Amino acid sequence: MTGLFELDGLTKRYGAITALDQVTAAVDGRIIGLLGPNGAGKSTLLKCLLGLLPYQGQARVLGLEAATDGAEIRDRVGYMPEQESFLSGMSAVELCTYAGELSGLPRSEAMQRAHAALYYAGLEEKRYQPVDGYSTGMKQRVKLAQALVHDPEILFLDEPTNGLDPQSREEMLALIVELPVRRGCAIVLSTHLLPDVDRVCDRAVIMHRGAVRFSGSIDELRGARGRDSELAVAVKADAARLAEALTAAGAICRVSSPIALEVDLPASATSQLVFATARTAGLQVRELAVRRESVEAAFLRVLGDDGALRAQGGVT
Amino acid sequence: MSAGQIHDLGYKRYVGSRRSMGTRWRVIMRHQITSAWAGWWRFKLWLIAALLTTTSVSAVMYFMHDRRLKMLGGIGGQVVKIADGLVPLSAMFYCKVGFIVSLTISATVVAGDLQSGAFTFYFARSVRPVDYVIGKLAGLAVLLAVIMAAGPIVLAGVRLGLSENLDELIDLLPILAKQLAVGAVGTVIYAAIPLGFSALSTSRRNALAIWAAYYVMIGSMASGLAFVTWPALAAIDLPASLQAISLHLFDQQFPGRANVPISAALISVLGHTAAAIAAVVWRIRRAQQTGVGGAS
Repeated sequence: MTGLFELDGLTKRYGAITALDQVTAAVDGRIIGLLGPNGAGKSTLLKCLLGLLPYQGQARVLGLEAATDGAEIRDRVGYMPEQESFLSGMSAVELCTYAGELSGLPRSEAMQRAHAALYYAGLEEKRYQPVDGYSTGMKQRVKLAQALVHDPEILFLDEPTNGLDPQSREEMLALIVELPVRRGCAIVLSTHLLPDVDRVCDRAVIMHRGAVRFSGSIDELRGARGRDSELAVAVKADAARLAEALTAAGAICRVSSPIALEVDLPASATSQLVFATARTAGLQVRELAVRRESVEAAFLRVLGDDGALRAQGGVT
Repeated sequence: MSAGQIHDLGYKRYVGSRRSMGTRWRVIMRHQITSAWAGWWRFKLWLIAALLTTTSVSAVMYFMHDRRLKMLGGIGGQVVKIADGLVPLSAMFYCKVGFIVSLTISATVVAGDLQSGAFTFYFARSVRPVDYVIGKLAGLAVLLAVIMAAGPIVLAGVRLGLSENLDELIDLLPILAKQLAVGAVGTVIYAAIPLGFSALSTSRRNALAIWAAYYVMIGSMASGLAFVTWPALAAIDLPASLQAISLHLFDQQFPGRANVPISAALISVLGHTAAAIAAVVWRIRRAQQTGVGGAS
C-alpha cells in the first residue's frame, strides 16, 4: 500500500543554504503532526511535496512524483494556509465554489460541495456574507472549508488554531479529529501548539535544520517515558516512607510531594510491587498511573541541545 | 456552532472526472469578468460611458454625414466626409474610457492578489502560472474589448449603413476589419500593459499610481518632446500610438498631434506588451514559489 508521502534523499538548496538535507522518510497515518523550530525546513518540505519547488532526490505523494506530477498532487491534496489567502469581495460560498472549480470540479459539483464544506466547518447561513467582514474564527473555518471542497485525500493544515479563542480552538480541533473518520482524508498538521499535537495527532514528524529528526507514532515519540515500568503514584500520606521501601526493593524513586512520588520499577517487576510494598508498610495507594511524557518534553528531548532554540525562536 | 457539534450534510467521495488542467484559465477568466461586473463603478458605469460615446458619435455621423471634415492626407484628398473621418478617430474617444477601466480593473489585478494573499489560494491548487496569466489576460481582454473594440465596430457599422448605394457599401466593408484591428490593439493596450504595471508593486495603491503616472505624465512628456525633437518619441504615449495605427490603417493623418511613425507605434505597443507580460510572468513565478507554506 502506498503511504502518504515518501522522501528519499530529498535535498533542496537555496544558493549556499541547504534547506533540506538528504531527507529520507516514509510517512503514513491518520493525523500527523509536522513539528520543528522556525527554519527547520517544514515550509520547504511542503512546497516540494506540492510540486512547487525543484529539488534533488525523490519526493512521492500518494504514489506520485512531486517533481513531475505536482498539479495532479495538488488536485488530491488540500491546503489550509496559516496566513489569510482570500479574494476580496467574495462570499464564503463563492470562494469555496471557485476553489472547487480551480481544482477541476464541474461548477455545479463545486457549488454543492462548497455548501457542504462550509456547513461542515460550521458557517451555516453566514456563508453568504463577504469573507472580508468575518472574525478570525470564521476566517479559519473558511480556510478549512476551501481546503476541503475538492475532496482531498491529504489535508495540510498550517496553524489551524492560530488566533482562536479557547472555545473556537476546541471546535476546530473537534472538526480536525473528525475529518479522517467522516471524510477519509489524512491530515498533516503543522503547528507550534504542542498541546494540539498531543490532543489530535497519532503520529509526528519532527524536523530540524533541514533533516527529519523523528518520524513515528506519538507513543514512540514519548519513547521510554511511555513504558509500563515508569509510574506516577499517589498515596494517602507519607510518600517518603513508601519511596524508602520501594528503593529497598530495587526501584528508583523521586518524591515529588508528601503524597506523590515517581517510581521506576526494576526490570521484570510490575505495578504489583508498589501495592505489595505499600501494604507491607501500612500505606494506602490512592492512584497509580504509567508516567506519560508530554509531547512538548519529548519534542525538546528529540531536538537535544537545540531544544533551547524553542525558548528563543519558538516552535512551529 | 456549539462545541462538539459537527454538521455534515452526508459526505460522499467525489468519483466523477476532473476537468483537464488546460481548462483552469477559463475558470480564472470567468472569475475576472464576474468580479469586474459586480458593483457599478468598476465596469458597468464605464460601459455606459462607452455606450453614450457610441450613441453620440453615431448621431453626429448620421446628422452630419454630408458635411466635410478637413483632415490631412484623407481619402481622396485632404477633406473627407465627417462620417469617414470619425471612424478612424473614434479610437481616441474610447481611449478615455479604456484608461478609466484600466485604472478600476487592470492596473490592480496582480498587486491586489499579492496583497490579499490570493496566490496561496491559487497555487495550492492545480493552477499553473501560465493558467493564471492567460486567465487574467483573457478576462481583461473580454472586458476591454467590449469598450475598445465593440464600440468602434458599431461605428463602422453605422458608417456602412450611411452608404448611399450598394457599391459604396461594398467598398467600405474593409473598415469593419480595420476597426476590429484597431479595437484589438486598444484592448491589448488597456488590458495587458496595465496588468504588467500591476505586477510591479505589492501594493494596489502603488501599482495604480505607477500606471497612472506612466500613462498620463510620461506619455504627455514624450508627446511634448516629440514635437521639438524626434517624432518617434511620441510612440511612448500609448493613445498616440493607437491613433497612429488607426489613422495609418485608414490612410489618414490628423493635424494637431505629433505624427507618430507607424513603425514606432507598432514597436511601442509590442514592446510595452512584451515587457508587461514578462513582468507578470516573473511576478507570478515568484509568487508560486514563495506563496504556499510561507517563507522558507
